[in-house]
Amino acid sequence: MRILIVEDDLEAAEAMERGLSEAGNACVRAADGEAGLTAARDGEFDVMIVDRMMPKMNGVQLVESLRREGDQTPVLFLSALGEVGDRVTGLQAGGDDYLVKPYAFAELIARVEALARRRETGSVHTLLRVGELEMDLIGRTVHRQGKEIDLQPREFQLLEFMMRHAGQSVTRTMLLEKVWEYHFDPQTNVIDVHISRLRSKIDKGFDRPMLQTVRGAGYRLDA
Amino acid sequence: MPDEAPARRFRLPRIFRTTPFRLTVLFLALFASAALALLAYIYVATAGEARRRTDAEINREMHGLVSAYDQAGLSALNQAVIERAAGEGAFLYLLMTPDQKRISGSIPYSPVDKFDGQPTWTTFSVTDVDAQGHTFKHPARGLQERLAGGQLLFVGADVGEDEAYVVQVVRALWGAGALIVVLGLCGGLLMSRNVSRSMASLTAVVDAVRNGDLGARAHVRGARDEFDELSAGVNEMLDRLERSMAGHRHAGDAIAHDLRSPLTRLRARLEVAYLDVEAGKGDPEQALAQALEDTDGVLKTFAAVLAIARLQAAGTAPNQVLFDPCELAANIAELYEPLCEDKGLEFDAEFAKGLQARGNEEFLSQALANLLDNAIKYTPAGGAIMLRVRRRSSGEVEFSVTDTGPGVPEADRERVVQRFVRLENSRNEPGSGLGLSLVAAVAEAHGGRLEIAEGPGKVGEMGPGLRVALVLPRA
Repeated sequence: MRILIVEDDLEAAEAMERGLSEAGNACVRAADGEAGLTAARDGEFDVMIVDRMMPKMNGVQLVESLRREGDQTPVLFLSALGEVGDRVTGLQAGGDDYLVKPYAFAELIARVEALARRRETGSVHTLLRVGELEMDLIGRTVHRQGKEIDLQPREFQLLEFMMRHAGQSVTRTMLLEKVWEYHFDPQTNVIDVHISRLRSKIDKGFDRPMLQTVRGAGYRLDA
Repeated sequence: MPDEAPARRFRLPRIFRTTPFRLTVLFLALFASAALALLAYIYVATAGEARRRTDAEINREMHGLVSAYDQAGLSALNQAVIERAAGEGAFLYLLMTPDQKRISGSIPYSPVDKFDGQPTWTTFSVTDVDAQGHTFKHPARGLQERLAGGQLLFVGADVGEDEAYVVQVVRALWGAGALIVVLGLCGGLLMSRNVSRSMASLTAVVDAVRNGDLGARAHVRGARDEFDELSAGVNEMLDRLERSMAGHRHAGDAIAHDLRSPLTRLRARLEVAYLDVEAGKGDPEQALAQALEDTDGVLKTFAAVLAIARLQAAGTAPNQVLFDPCELAANIAELYEPLCEDKGLEFDAEFAKGLQARGNEEFLSQALANLLDNAIKYTPAGGAIMLRVRRRSSGEVEFSVTDTGPGVPEADRERVVQRFVRLENSRNEPGSGLGLSLVAAVAEAHGGRLEIAEGPGKVGEMGPGLRVALVLPRA
């Protein structure tokens, strides 16, 4: 993947670049909004990571400019501002996801991957398939090896998200944000319990577990 | 306040500069103007009336004499004038030849200077001498007419008594006016002194607070007037301010305390890891993983402190909308229900239908999540947790979480809401100690409150439990 990092904190940008490069991505860095805009116009990127507060041109202005020019590259906003209002402003400006500083690196990578993947699956599907697992989005049914699995509505949503991001690490915070639409950090890991319930439904009785726990990051659905 | 050159300008004594006194003066001016207008009217009405009456009498007398002349001729008129002038009547008479020579009458010459033949009125004065030889001047009115034969007839009347009456009225009016001004001034001074005294107590409090004494409080006299209201308001404001500042101070100490221990651990682990790696032994990976975990703990505490601080600084929660409290509670219940089941707790939810509340859903969701988190954390396996949403008879919407855990002794209930306060027996549980503080901050930011009470009571080994309610004002 080609990733544009627009971040004025050089140390943070360097750390990000190193981590993302090690994960097999090609990174370009820009240290302020104007440089970021130029870089975004010049190159083709799969994902842009944009800090919200920067000198010369802030992240929101940068993304608004790009969106006006028709650039639809997925944008992940980074911000020290975590209030709901700040997040809404960022997303309204054309951002696709919002990560509050400080963040775990695993979280950043998971979100960048999710954004890049989302772009590939732009068309509308009514059927999701990951290995033996099959999900009918219209009939709201799930089958594994042809056997129907009975899921609660929330479990269905949870599995749908995992299937849409099959093969990628998905963090607990992502699940809480995307499946439950909560943006706060619960004191206990409530998500783990929901995952283990889902796991017992889709993996129990089958020879091979599909829902994996990724240490230090979260979960992954493997085909 | 910057030092100013001493004011040379004349300044009124303090009492004259008070607002009530200024108001008094203003009203006094208005009142005096109105009184003046009234006095003027009274003067015109009384003095004018007296003159009209005199004139009418003179006219009547003149008429009588003229008709006597018309019927009986000059000699009859002359006779009548002589008789009447000698009588005790109040009138003055003068009959003159066409060239103004006196024929008869009670005065020597006519006070009318210029006579053009038309009936002419005049005002003049009569000098009298009493028995003791004092002279008096009386004001008088008179009318002069020309008779058919060319002779002139003058009839006048002393208006001294009427005039004296008018003078008395005027004097009385002046007296009344002066009384109005003096009484008004005294009343104003008295009033402004009272108000000033009430204000002085408030001003003293403001001064004290400005100089850093947050403990100063205004005196509430119990008169239940607007000053008492204001004083009570100021006192309440200061109470809140003091609490909030104490809270900040406490939070500052607590953050230092709470962050110091994990940061110290973190530092120690990193140091040990560093020494181990340098010596080529030990498990640096594990030390690093632990250090990361510790860092996350510190960050979580920061996030919670920040959220509380922002809510308190803003005063009210941002982005408030009308929402269905049951839907909100049901979603949180759905998130936590499996956790209860895993811990062997019975979970129950009870939602009243058709409720509406106003608030920030994200913050309220987090507050409910914190309440459930706490309940799950402190209730031993086999216990029960109940989430309930209902409308109170007051119209307030109440979210409550009841558990069958050990509860919180009544004496500690107020304390557990404070930042970082964790009771002794919960020291070993994970958590920042900010959970309930955040709930309280969320409740306050919605104009609501947090209530902590005993749960369902002791059942065997369990109990007495805790009931925590977040109460929102009616939407």
